[in-house]
Amino acid sequence: MRLLPGRGIPVLLLSVVVVAACSTGGTSSGAPLPGCNSGTKQALFWTSHTPPDTDSEQNIVNNFNKQSKTTCVKMVAVPGSETDIAKLTTAVRGGTGPDIYELDRFTVAERAAAGVLTDLSSYGAADMASNYLDFAWKEALFKGKPYALPDDTDARVLYYNKDMMQAAGEDPSQLDIAKGAPTVALVRTLANKLNKKTNGKYTVVGFDPRLNQGWHYTWGFAYGGSFFDASTCKVTPDDPKIVQAFKDMFWDWAGSLGVSDLQTFESTYAPDTPPLPQAQDAFITGHLGMVVSGDWMIGLLQKYAPNLHYGITYIPVPNQGDTPATWAGGWSVVIPKGAKNGSGGWEFMKYFAGEDGQRTYTQQTTHMPTWKSLLTDTSLFPGDHALFVKQLPVAHSRPALPVGAFYWDQLTIAQSDAEHHTKDPGAALKAAADATNAKLQPFCPIAT
Amino acid sequence: MIAAPRRRLSAEDWRNLRTALPFIAPWIVGFLAFTVYPIVYSLYLSFTHYSGFGDATPAGLDNFKHMAEDPLFWQSLGNTMYYTALAVPIGVVVAIALALMMNQNLREVAFYRAAFYLPSILPLFALTFIFIVLLNPGFGLVDYLLELIHIPAVNWLGDAHWTKISVVMLAQLGAGGPALIFLAALRAVPGELYEAARLEGAGALRRFWKITVPLITPVILFDLIYGTILGVQIFTPAFVLAGGTSGGGAYTTGPDNSLLFYVYYLYKNAFQYSDMGYASAMAWVLFIMSIVLSFAIMRWSRQWVHYEGA
Repeated sequence: MRLLPGRGIPVLLLSVVVVAACSTGGTSSGAPLPGCNSGTKQALFWTSHTPPDTDSEQNIVNNFNKQSKTTCVKMVAVPGSETDIAKLTTAVRGGTGPDIYELDRFTVAERAAAGVLTDLSSYGAADMASNYLDFAWKEALFKGKPYALPDDTDARVLYYNKDMMQAAGEDPSQLDIAKGAPTVALVRTLANKLNKKTNGKYTVVGFDPRLNQGWHYTWGFAYGGSFFDASTCKVTPDDPKIVQAFKDMFWDWAGSLGVSDLQTFESTYAPDTPPLPQAQDAFITGHLGMVVSGDWMIGLLQKYAPNLHYGITYIPVPNQGDTPATWAGGWSVVIPKGAKNGSGGWEFMKYFAGEDGQRTYTQQTTHMPTWKSLLTDTSLFPGDHALFVKQLPVAHSRPALPVGAFYWDQLTIAQSDAEHHTKDPGAALKAAADATNAKLQPFCPIAT
Repeated sequence: MIAAPRRRLSAEDWRNLRTALPFIAPWIVGFLAFTVYPIVYSLYLSFTHYSGFGDATPAGLDNFKHMAEDPLFWQSLGNTMYYTALAVPIGVVVAIALALMMNQNLREVAFYRAAFYLPSILPLFALTFIFIVLLNPGFGLVDYLLELIHIPAVNWLGDAHWTKISVVMLAQLGAGGPALIFLAALRAVPGELYEAARLEGAGALRRFWKITVPLITPVILFDLIYGTILGVQIFTPAFVLAGGTSGGGAYTTGPDNSLLFYVYYLYKNAFQYSDMGYASAMAWVLFIMSIVLSFAIMRWSRQWVHYEGA
């Protein structure tokens, strides 16, 4: 039997024509979006942020679109996280990436080294350096060239619930910020008085050293540790001060609370997956007496717990009189390789990470700007927010390394080992150092 | 039996083939471009250092040597084998049990079949989220039921000892698919065998062990091999449970790295650490392990698989 004698190929060609005619194309150019000026060209902006931050970002996009005569930005929320850019990587490799992407700034060097980002030198980015906080600008560089514009920053402090302290018979003024940074011993003593268990399970924990921003970097910096030695081009998580921080905070403190019990508490009141709505944050709901968190917490407290009586002080330090420490992170905007509208992307980036964009973002999210002149505008930092601004000049920042995400994960593994007593903190951090330095070595020396 | 001589294609057969080829060409092109090429390319990449962009630099056997001394590689392999060793046999038992229930001579059996099969067609991502709520140590249904019968509650997803067990339990929600295959196998068992056994006085349990199980062993073998191949590729539940979607977790891969499965670690190397060379090498090692495991199961099966008429 012959199959469709003589008609096979024409039928097939016809099918291809029909399918092609029915397809929609999928290019990003086309008619401007509502709210854009006519004659503008579309630029695609991807962010992995979630509300309420994306609400503010959409406002910035709308403001930009109103005033731009050349570019119309479309913002799309995509899956991703601080260190996971799988969506971006595959899209860029497939030639379907965005024109602008919001990237955690401490990974800029890493992504630039991998070849995902466009060098912004040709756009004249270097001329903008003087507008930005020095540490934030340095994080945007790789081998001395700019690959990003820093769009926000933050800092971390200790929040404490005054009502819970008074109910436990403690005077909250012990933690008054005017008295300087509290010691770890003082905070631990206070925290232990707040712990409550029902049927063998914690319902209230005074302080959980690993919750929220209780990261390896937080305690390492608080103890005066250094995570990277630029002169030898080696990471140094096995710095004795960091080892001591791990011992005190994760091995001893988390261990004394019972890691298993603590895990049950976290799974119940502060699960990461799925992350609870921010209104149900354990500190906001009164299940946590104290927490290390960032400036964004001010906005959440105003929104979800306006009647909660809280105080803010420095992150605890090991010894009375030690200089308080915090660290500042933040995000940045980049142009991925292969962007179809790079010049439109650059125009938007300058606005988004510039004075106007950062002013809006600061007002609406209680993050802090990296645009230096905004830091002197006291109207942007009402109440407690001003304290964070004061901390910025002395804040540490994570080393901007071409293996930043890997280093973060290695530190997290060491933290987990210390909490579970599976490895001595010194050994766990030595293992993190060895693994990271092996990855880092091909990039040395690192010029920023 | 003498093999039939190979028939040469006639002129008409060739004409038909020429006509048919354009129709199957899209598949052939797709297969070559999206399956064969990536497989060969990943083999090449496994001998290079490559970020996914720019040029790959030759690395010889570096990636494979690095595996030997990478503790996370071994931990991920151990986690994966632990999961597979539990999930696959339990999966076979659950699927057979479901198939037996689906095979009952009841009026409502169609409803039960649909009910048992339904979880298998739900997206694993959604199922995992539902599971997280069910396993919550404070408000979850599972711990509530355990406490009702005076069994201490378990922190399923926060305690490293229980995280993998949780994933094994979750995997059983997908037993509906294999159960359908087992159902077909059960219905293919000749009824006269049961009838003869019944006349000889064999009870239900004896009939199951002596007739049903031997006659469905080829399907058990299929399910074991298929389940093992899928088991060593476990990824989605771990990615969701460990907070891979939120990125803010205190643990990047579950408490004490207990959910760092092989493919999850491969994914992290590829997309978080931009080390496509190492990830490709890991993929090839996984591929070879899957082949070895499949052959081992095939060889072992000679001792217990019963092929009717063989």
